[in-house]
Amino acid sequence: MSTTTRTSTSAPTGGGQLAVRPDRRSSARWWGLALYVVVTAVVLIPLISVFVLALRPRQGSGLTGYTLETITYVLTQTQSIIWLENSMLVALATTVVAVVVAAPAGYVLSRGRSRAVSGYSLLLFIVQGFPVVVFVIPLFILFARLDLVDTPGGLIIIYVASSMSVACWMMAAYFDSIPVTLEEAAWIDGCSLFGGFVRVILRNSLPGVLSTAIFTFLVAWNDYLVAVVFLRSTINYTLPVGLQTFFQQNATDWGPVMATAVIMMLPPIIVFAALNKYFSVGGIGGSLAGR
Amino acid sequence: MTTSGPAGAIAPGVIESVTRHEHPGGDHSQPGLPGGMRRTSSRVRRERITMASLVLPSIILVVLINAYPVFYAAVQSVHDGTLTSTGDFVGLDNFTAILTSPDFWASARFTLVFTVVGVFGSWAVGLALALGLKAGVPGRSTFRVLLLLPWVVPIVVSATSWSWMVATPSSPVPQLAEALGFGQVLFLADPLLAQITVCVFKVWVSFPFMMLMTSAALESVDDNVYQAARMDGANRWQTFTQITLPMIARSTYISWILMAIFCVNDFPTIFLLTGGGPVNATTSLVVFAYKLVFTNFQTGIGVAVAFLMTVGLVIVSTILYRQIRKAGIE
Repeated sequence: MSTTTRTSTSAPTGGGQLAVRPDRRSSARWWGLALYVVVTAVVLIPLISVFVLALRPRQGSGLTGYTLETITYVLTQTQSIIWLENSMLVALATTVVAVVVAAPAGYVLSRGRSRAVSGYSLLLFIVQGFPVVVFVIPLFILFARLDLVDTPGGLIIIYVASSMSVACWMMAAYFDSIPVTLEEAAWIDGCSLFGGFVRVILRNSLPGVLSTAIFTFLVAWNDYLVAVVFLRSTINYTLPVGLQTFFQQNATDWGPVMATAVIMMLPPIIVFAALNKYFSVGGIGGSLAGR
Repeated sequence: MTTSGPAGAIAPGVIESVTRHEHPGGDHSQPGLPGGMRRTSSRVRRERITMASLVLPSIILVVLINAYPVFYAAVQSVHDGTLTSTGDFVGLDNFTAILTSPDFWASARFTLVFTVVGVFGSWAVGLALALGLKAGVPGRSTFRVLLLLPWVVPIVVSATSWSWMVATPSSPVPQLAEALGFGQVLFLADPLLAQITVCVFKVWVSFPFMMLMTSAALESVDDNVYQAARMDGANRWQTFTQITLPMIARSTYISWILMAIFCVNDFPTIFLLTGGGPVNATTSLVVFAYKLVFTNFQTGIGVAVAFLMTVGLVIVSTILYRQIRKAGIE
């Protein structure tokens, strides 16, 4: 499960590939470092450009060089701050609801071995393959009847549902790594099945929960398609939709567009920089294969 | 019941088989269970109910959100409706119209190319980077975070940035190409170049996912296996093809399947960069369906395309899922 917590376990054995003699090995490491610096820099050029352009002054502002003026302008003079709040609300609510729904479901997927459980597992796999693009039309018609169009609630329901398969797999994968003997001990002590799940399993599953939370946060924060169809009034826009309107209005002035893009990029970057060691999608493979 | 061993006594019912699976020793006592089963049947039922109620919220959500659209797609695909009305029943006319339309086949072809390049391109890059990280590059956790960014950042942001870089003749990349003597290169105006650009963009967006999957798989390979191979005189290439690849094969297969599904269903990557153009060169099936519904207002035909895709994906996913599971048992 944990792919990064063991940072340098491969050092003594050299990962099996580079090590021959100490001097040759250390020079190979520095070449490796140089290579990774170059590759990473090339890969990140599009994102670095966004930051650089966001720090350039707006057209007609009379400023030169690099400045935070454009970002301040976007935050104070445009609706970006409202969109930021909307995005935050939708993404955080999605995260909480998805984890609360997916954690118990993942437990059943991990521990249950009945025919119904494998049937549900197959359903999750099939549903994961449905094209969202097409579902948006009927869901729009359905949600219009339920007054859920153009509301954060409508978006949250769709985001939770569309991240459900992966969220369940991630939770199940983590629970798989917890030995059943732990629950058995609790059952001997008179704990119920549910009590065992909450008090023994959930308590020991912080990395699994965080992984799932990060994933669902990203789904909700990054979505463009559902938001662009369901959100009708500018005041309800989330950042991805907001950015698009902005872009159309100021097709030639890239400063404010890129400043909004920076605001949009920062939360996922911060989340990953802080919680990187908890995040793993690798377990999905094991949980899908029904280990 | 007291004779049926710890596993059977503690966890009868639904989870009984799991504990049996974890503790082969429990198997001996299974024949003694039926007598005990009657006494604990209320407990079994209670545990069944607990398991069911744990999974129920997610089932309700998944079924509710998917059932209506599937039903709607099935109905609309045999009607000539618009976004607001059902229209008249037209039988299989929509499907005939699609299957005889060259635009449909062109989109299907591009979807195939986009998916194949997306899956294997991102896998190759992801695998290479994961191998490097495993080999112990200094500062690997920093590189890991930085290299994840293309996947983590909102697609709207990266599409905006890529289009700033390549879209117009005055963008940086065409300028660079001109300075290097390639003349005026219009990345999104030439059909073939636009297709290549969209595919490269997709690889750029997706390789971190493959890197994560591969890293996790590599992590589970025992270092001793490599040492043994080195002692036997295997060179790096042999080690890679004879040991690394086979040992991560199953996880690789699963990541291919997932990525293929992601690629087939991918809308924003294509739509935000090219809108499906020029002259529909980068229109995948999903974009094709979207345009039929939202631009041409031919809901029936658009939904029929989606319906065909969904049916195809369901069949393919079920087969692949069965295969993964079978491989899991072996």
